[in-house]
Amino acid sequence: MLALELLAVWKRYGTRRALAGVNLEVPAGSAIGLLGPNGAGKTTTLRLLLGFTRADEGSVRLRGLDPSDPTSRIGVGYLPERLALPGRMTVCGFLRLHGALAGLGEGDLDRETDAVLRQTGIADRAGDRIAGLSKGLAQRVGFAQAFLGRPELLLLDEPTSGLDPIGVRDARDWIGSARERGCTVLVSSHVLSEVERICDRVAIMHQGRIAASGPIDQLLRPGEDLEDAFVRVVRE
Amino acid sequence: MMPYPVRVFRVLTFESLLDGVRRRIVPVIVAISLLSLLAIDSCTSCASSPLTVNGQPVDATAIAGWSGALMFTALALWTMVLAGALASDHLAQTLVDGSATLTLARPVGRGAYALARLTGCLTIALVTGAVLLSATALLMHARAGVPLGPAAWGLVVCAVGAICVGAFATAASLFLPQIATTLLVLVAVGWIALVNLLAQFGAELPGVHSAIDRFGPPLGSALVVVLAPWIPSVSVTGEPAALILRVAVWAGAGLALLVLTIRRIEFGR
Repeated sequence: MLALELLAVWKRYGTRRALAGVNLEVPAGSAIGLLGPNGAGKTTTLRLLLGFTRADEGSVRLRGLDPSDPTSRIGVGYLPERLALPGRMTVCGFLRLHGALAGLGEGDLDRETDAVLRQTGIADRAGDRIAGLSKGLAQRVGFAQAFLGRPELLLLDEPTSGLDPIGVRDARDWIGSARERGCTVLVSSHVLSEVERICDRVAIMHQGRIAASGPIDQLLRPGEDLEDAFVRVVRE
Repeated sequence: MMPYPVRVFRVLTFESLLDGVRRRIVPVIVAISLLSLLAIDSCTSCASSPLTVNGQPVDATAIAGWSGALMFTALALWTMVLAGALASDHLAQTLVDGSATLTLARPVGRGAYALARLTGCLTIALVTGAVLLSATALLMHARAGVPLGPAAWGLVVCAVGAICVGAFATAASLFLPQIATTLLVLVAVGWIALVNLLAQFGAELPGVHSAIDRFGPPLGSALVVVLAPWIPSVSVTGEPAALILRVAVWAGAGLALLVLTIRRIEFGR
């Protein structure tokens, strides 16, 4: 079963071509890294999957459904690249709101909120206003909301942005835990070492196309690491 | 258990209301409302006294009816403008600053999100309007004996008008900056009300103004017609029910436009 699928997807913003015939299939339970230089189309791909924007041509499916259908996003956790949190809310209030939107009942809401607060190491800041948090702590709040309701699919756009080295290691552990319980993970990132540790497959985007994709070990040539393979694919 | 869409709408509406209350404009609204209540108290205080003009006794109820109708109409229109002003960025701001992104990444329909944001800010405007209009009506009733029935209908007109103005303002705010949307609300409500009032008092209106009066949302006409029992010396035209229905149709059109618009726009790049 496919967790998400893009078939021959084209997207233009005015005269600028963002995606040019992207094909991508992600089986349920896998972890894929979406790599590419700036402007390659990674964020546009995520936006299409979440229904924020529409494809000019081609087909996009999230959990087998059209992204314009809100039910396609049931069981999906999302962490955007530019995280905009409502500064006037408290951490706990924000997480409870998103827990309710994720479909958690009143009974599960407290338990799940406490669980993600503890998991992401921000339990002692639960009553603080979000506006008073550092960038790294705000990113942890972003992770916490993405993990609410034990999602089946995680879409993470530059997830380690703003985290210190300890936070980066923690994030890797959190994503690893999600994988262990069968969660599908799509990570869009520039940090190749992170992708290599988290994912079993990668798709390298360049100029709006998937230039290469597959299991990491099959993409690497002898003596190459992921960075070498990335540079080779982009330059080819 | 409550169905998921209903629960989501309730949660989003409550959050929208809290978000509105957290804004700095709310203390301003409270201050203006308190000043308005003092003005209402002052304006209605003479209604219970015997009035004499040029040595002749004057029917205080008639004067009270006039002043009451004027105050009630002004406050109802102010409530509609307030609804539009609050709606001019309550949804759009969340799209601009990106805080809507996380919500819309949940199983939340865009239409439901937009309507919940609108409902939140309308609640603030309608509570303000209900307090001011009820205070006016009750003081007029207690001091001058004007009937309360027209005020009840006036509250209905005000509520439906506020929904209408708020819905169109929210839809406009998806394309215009906040200041432009607020000015548009002010000009549109003022213009429509003025045209309606001129028509009610027998003025001959040129083409476009006549069309606005006959086919536009009758925000002013509906108020004047439902309050007519307070000013029996004036003959008004139009059936209250038909005028309220026309405002409601425009409100429905505004809500439909808002939902259609938010479904079509693309968020960020």
